[in-house]
Amino acid sequence: MKEALSLVQRVNAHPDSRCWFVSWNPSGSLVASCGGDKAIRIWGREGDSWICKSVLQDGHQRTVRKVAWSPCGNYLASASFDATTCIWKKKDDDFESLTVLEGHENEVKCVAWAPSGNLLATCSRDKSVWVWEVDEEDEYECVTVVNSHTQDVKHVVWHPTQELLASASYDNNICIYREEDDDWECRATLQGHTSTVWSLSFDATGQRLASGSDDRTVKIWKEYPNEAGQDLSWKCVCTLSGYHGRTVYDVAWCPLTGVLATASGDDAVRVFKEDESTGPDQPVFSLAAQVTKAHSQDVNCVAWNPKEAGLLATCSDDGDFAIWRFHED
Amino acid sequence: MSAGGRLENANPVIFQRSGERLLTASDEDEDVHDRIDDREIFDLIRSINDPEHPLSLEELNVVEQVRVKVNDAESSVGVEFTPTIPHCSMATLIGLSIKVKLLRSLPDRFKIDVQITPGTHASEEAVNKQLADKERVAAALENSSLLEVVNQCLTTRSI
Amino acid sequence: MMAADGALLLSLVEEFVSGLQDSKAKDTAAGVRNGQFTVLQLVEALGLSLTSSQPHTRARGVQLLSEVLHECYGNLTEREVEVLIAFYENRLKDHYVITPSVLQGLRALTKCAALPPGSAVSMLRSLFQDVHVQSLMLMERSCVYNMLINLMETREAELKGLGADFVFGFVQSMDGERDPRNLLLAFQIAKNIVHRGYDLGKFTEELFEVTSCYFPIDFSPPPNDPHGITKEELIETLRAVLTGTPKFAEFLLPLIIEKLDSDVQSAKLDSLQTLTACVSQYEHKDLAEFLEGLWTSLRREVFQTSSERIESAGLAAVTALTSCLSRSVLNSDSEDSLSTFLDLVLKDCKHHLCEPDLKLVWPSAKLLQAACSASSRASHATTAAVMPSLIEQYSSRTQCSHRRTLLEVVLRFIQSVKTSQSSENEESVFSAFRQSLCGMVFSALSETNASLQITATSMLTSLAQQTGLLLDSDVELAVDHLTRLLLTEEDDRVSLAVVDCAGALAELHPTVFITKLIPRLKKEMFSEPMDEGDNRAASGQPSHHAMRQRCLSALAAVSTRPGVVRESTPVLLEVLGSVHAGSAAFSVEEVVSACHSLRRIAEQVQDTEEMGRCFHEVVIPRLISLALQAALQGEGSSGRRSPLVEEVVLSAVVSVISTSCARLQPMLAGQTASRAVSLFLDDDVSFLPDNSFPSQIQLLKKQQGDSWSRSQMVCLLMGCVCSLPRSVEVPQIDQLMSQLEELSCTCSHPLSYNSAAKCFSGLVNKRPQGDSLDSLVQTMMKRVCRELDSSSSPVRTQALTLMIWVSKALLLRYHPLSTALTDKLFSLLDDTDLGAAAADGFSLLMSDSSDVLNRGCHADVRIMYRQRFFSENSAKLVQGFNAAPQEKKSNYLKALSNIVNKLPKQVQITELPALLSLLLEALSCPDQGVQLSTLSCLEPVLVDPPPALIQQLEALVSRLLALTSSPTMSVKIASMRCIHAISRFPEHEILPFRARVLRALARPLDDRKRLVRSEAVQARGEWFLVGSPGGR
Repeated sequence: MKEALSLVQRVNAHPDSRCWFVSWNPSGSLVASCGGDKAIRIWGREGDSWICKSVLQDGHQRTVRKVAWSPCGNYLASASFDATTCIWKKKDDDFESLTVLEGHENEVKCVAWAPSGNLLATCSRDKSVWVWEVDEEDEYECVTVVNSHTQDVKHVVWHPTQELLASASYDNNICIYREEDDDWECRATLQGHTSTVWSLSFDATGQRLASGSDDRTVKIWKEYPNEAGQDLSWKCVCTLSGYHGRTVYDVAWCPLTGVLATASGDDAVRVFKEDESTGPDQPVFSLAAQVTKAHSQDVNCVAWNPKEAGLLATCSDDGDFAIWRFHED
Repeated sequence: MSAGGRLENANPVIFQRSGERLLTASDEDEDVHDRIDDREIFDLIRSINDPEHPLSLEELNVVEQVRVKVNDAESSVGVEFTPTIPHCSMATLIGLSIKVKLLRSLPDRFKIDVQITPGTHASEEAVNKQLADKERVAAALENSSLLEVVNQCLTTRSI
Repeated sequence: MMAADGALLLSLVEEFVSGLQDSKAKDTAAGVRNGQFTVLQLVEALGLSLTSSQPHTRARGVQLLSEVLHECYGNLTEREVEVLIAFYENRLKDHYVITPSVLQGLRALTKCAALPPGSAVSMLRSLFQDVHVQSLMLMERSCVYNMLINLMETREAELKGLGADFVFGFVQSMDGERDPRNLLLAFQIAKNIVHRGYDLGKFTEELFEVTSCYFPIDFSPPPNDPHGITKEELIETLRAVLTGTPKFAEFLLPLIIEKLDSDVQSAKLDSLQTLTACVSQYEHKDLAEFLEGLWTSLRREVFQTSSERIESAGLAAVTALTSCLSRSVLNSDSEDSLSTFLDLVLKDCKHHLCEPDLKLVWPSAKLLQAACSASSRASHATTAAVMPSLIEQYSSRTQCSHRRTLLEVVLRFIQSVKTSQSSENEESVFSAFRQSLCGMVFSALSETNASLQITATSMLTSLAQQTGLLLDSDVELAVDHLTRLLLTEEDDRVSLAVVDCAGALAELHPTVFITKLIPRLKKEMFSEPMDEGDNRAASGQPSHHAMRQRCLSALAAVSTRPGVVRESTPVLLEVLGSVHAGSAAFSVEEVVSACHSLRRIAEQVQDTEEMGRCFHEVVIPRLISLALQAALQGEGSSGRRSPLVEEVVLSAVVSVISTSCARLQPMLAGQTASRAVSLFLDDDVSFLPDNSFPSQIQLLKKQQGDSWSRSQMVCLLMGCVCSLPRSVEVPQIDQLMSQLEELSCTCSHPLSYNSAAKCFSGLVNKRPQGDSLDSLVQTMMKRVCRELDSSSSPVRTQALTLMIWVSKALLLRYHPLSTALTDKLFSLLDDTDLGAAAADGFSLLMSDSSDVLNRGCHADVRIMYRQRFFSENSAKLVQGFNAAPQEKKSNYLKALSNIVNKLPKQVQITELPALLSLLLEALSCPDQGVQLSTLSCLEPVLVDPPPALIQQLEALVSRLLALTSSPTMSVKIASMRCIHAISRFPEHEILPFRARVLRALARPLDDRKRLVRSEAVQARGEWFLVGSPGGR
């Protein structure tokens, strides 16, 4: 393999705890990490090292599971096992808690901003997906609660360009939602994984969706125009199996280069590349790079830098986050 | 669960405890590397208290050494446990106690799988799936009443 | 009264009442005491204040009187008391602000010896009529209770004359009391009422209600409670009330049944213990109505509990109930309530005995055994009901684990009956089952399952202990089985059990052991291993060796009766004799075991003249003779060396000799000692058998060349002369001492000079106080110092050894000269060559030595000599440490840890604050010996940490965590044990360290050594529970 992942930096971001998730800000200059220590940390590069710029504490009573930057980069949303979602606003070099979104019955597992920045989605072990609307005065209002899954919802992700939402669940399914008469409805259910679906990622165009699962596979789904013209139609066009030794906890499609990274419970980080010769209906992905002991424990998250091609952040149960550079020849 | 409450299985079969592992000369020899073996893992979990009975999981035959598999070199541990009755509502709790005990007692490098012995419980798959979901396990351990029960199962019983 | 006194009195009254000067009460009391004025004059002088229209003035007046009475009640006349009582009773009707002082005065009067007849009754009538006790303040209520207690002590007859009114008055007084201090007093009164036979009349239930409403006691004293009232005190006192009379039975028993249902463990426990206590006062008719309910509750507790305390309390209650019912006289018209109760127990429990694989077999067996142990009648009824089915089950079950459970159950039945069998002539409860039970035991002994065999040996012992149960033929068969197992059974646990069983049986039936077991064991031990030269020789050897070891320990175990000892000791001596002669191939280890068996026999036989002769005239001379032959034979010839010159063998021989000399027949022991002295000083070998020694032996003279085999014989001399009772004199002592000193300071053979030094010190310890001892020590000290101060001396180590041993001998008996010696030892800590050895010497000073200078050898050992040494020397040590150059400091730390390590824990705790910084320093000392010894002295202290330690927690935890990555396994283990112990400190103190400890202990979880991992797992598991719900 000519391509390779080389380690740029490793930071013990959440000592004595696990680091659940990392997220780049839209300009690619900051990383937010969150973990079992109930804290969110904001990291910035100074010279050759990564420095903790601020610690967002006391916002949550339990594990902070995920963090998400608003498209403008001035807000941060955090989802926690304490059943709340916190909205943080950037002020000078620090962040202050703006509001707390309550409503879920128990652990909030994921939060995601729509590309417009006017909508926010959250999901929870209470099996529901909530969509929130944000107005000019930073007021948040829940506009919809959808109960399309039969088990806890692990992940929500927005389409890169349209107001289209996808969710992944412990019930092994993926649901796709679209707004219809002021109401959000599930328009497609993607079945195929044989165990919990942990994460989802759209490609740059939004025509394809990658999913990672406890069944140790990654699936690529593609949207097809529906003959009836009403419902959305998504089909699985590719399954990556045999690569991962344990659960695939995260997938990330690089918006700049189109390569696909995965995080797995086998401690490895892998990057897959699409063979250019194959057609869109039967794509073939091959392993372009892998680091088998990327972390000393489960890898929970992979995140591509939105501006600098090939820069990848990962984090793990060992409490570390790491920055890698993916080299392509 | 109150002490006066009805037990699901008031008169379970009980099994003899295995004695302490016998000390060998090589155990005391600094130059010998003792690999982590099945018996060592079994010793970690056999004295876990049953949530209902004043008995250990070993005495109830919920855990057995033959159902413990460890590979030290590959850092993996698999444990199968057998609930005393197929409808035992405590199965998840017992599995959780085993998992927590192993998480606290083994080096971080280990991947730990705790499952129900195939064919011994009505909700086998559901329980296995829950125990394998580390997010749910993490959330469960942030629930203080659940953690309390687990900790009690893991407390060395005072005589 | 003089006029001046009158004026004084008036002014005192004035100053107290109007001037509010409290101190004037004391002055007034002093005036009364020294006769300046009487109490009645005081009352007169108070006249105006007592009639004032202001209640507060009246109160102040009464207060003065009461305070004076409080001081002077002892000197009052009957007439005065009468007047005062009338006065106070009247005042009880006055304004409420006056009442406290009135009660205080009345209480003082209840203590008067001169209380007129009838006044107690009148006081109480007024009190009960005019005062509502529970409206009073805490102190006043306490005053009332104390009045009652005082009167109950002195005026019992009068109070009883009040009849049930007294009880009623009391019930009204305490109804609603909430203060624990007052409750303790109120319970005391109720207890007196119940136990001293006051008439409860129709108020039985009221008295029960007013006290039982506090049952079970739920009280936790506030932190830093100044009153020191404990929950236990309240529980005990209330229990004495509730269980004090059968009249309460009809109320108490339903209450107990109700409270047993509680979820609170302490309430259950209290209820069970109260039940056990009350039934000892009851008769069967008090219980009859509640038997079923009680049984249901007791059964549930024992069947379902998860607490061993509750289980054993429940079982104790069953036993108490059963013995209560057994006491009841059986009359024709009343139902036999014992059998009713036993039927209940049997109905619920018996069938579980047929399910040996299920959980309830044990609780059922325990319940039945609890009933069974209560009385002879109960044991007959129970065993008759359960034994046949147990026996039947045993023969029909095939799984070993089931049979073992059944056997264990039967065993516990037999043991439970043992406790209640008292009369000798009564036939054993188990007579009817004798044959089946023996059959069970013998079949179990023939199994290959170890735990079955072990249980069977216990059962055999228990059967043999049932008087008159086993027939001679049973015992013979049993001995056959035991013999077979001794010869063939390889499992250590089984053979240990077999040896114990043989010992117990031999005590009861010696003859069979003499005629059968001993000859057989002898024959097998002396046979050569089979298959020699064969392939199997390698594997056959250890098993032959193990068989011999079992036989040797069995010979010791069975030798308690003289008849058996007569037969067993020659066999053991023959082992030594034949190995010396080379006629039988016993290994050194086996020879040592033979000696240990001889020692054990010397320890356990009765000290009779016959046994004394056996050891002093046969065993010891034979042992010395063999050792001497071996020593002489070993010298010249370059050929075979007798195993008897080995150090381990000699030490074992010494232990036989010193045990015999210490324990058996002082007269004969003295004779042994003087024979030994003549042998060592005068070459007198006349008392030795096989008397073919050369005429010049000279055991204590420095030998030519390096003939250590002769010089090391001095250890036998030590065995003979150092264990004697102090009353026995050792002949030729001066010459002996000088030769021992010479040998210990000149010889280069370690065992020889060590033994000489020990022998010297053992004798020094017992020499009478006086000039002769002083000059002996001073002469020795001069010589020792000469060698020690000359750095070129070749015998500095020898000199140090002698000095340490003599220091110990003197230190033990508080001899003033010991200080000079130990100071010299302290100074040697700075010595380049001997510093480390000197530090180790402190360990020798502080620990018990096994063969000399211990209480077993009648040495003069004063109590607390270690503490005394420590307190006299710890400052020197600290100063020495501070002054010492860096490279010598570790010697001081080592000495310190050697000393502190051996101190009793109580002393360690009090001394710790002063030494803590030094001990913490010692933890950072690179010497692993110091680390280990410091850790081992810290660990017990950590169980109950003194405050000084908690203040240093940061330093302690840091150093301990650092040691968990030591390269040495034992240091890692010891440091983690300490960290484990710290997990039990008060939570708020250790919570800040939790994350750090958990992180640090993650590393040893992956250690190369299992023992280290296991220690880490335990410690880390406990630390996870710190501050976590459900943890400690």
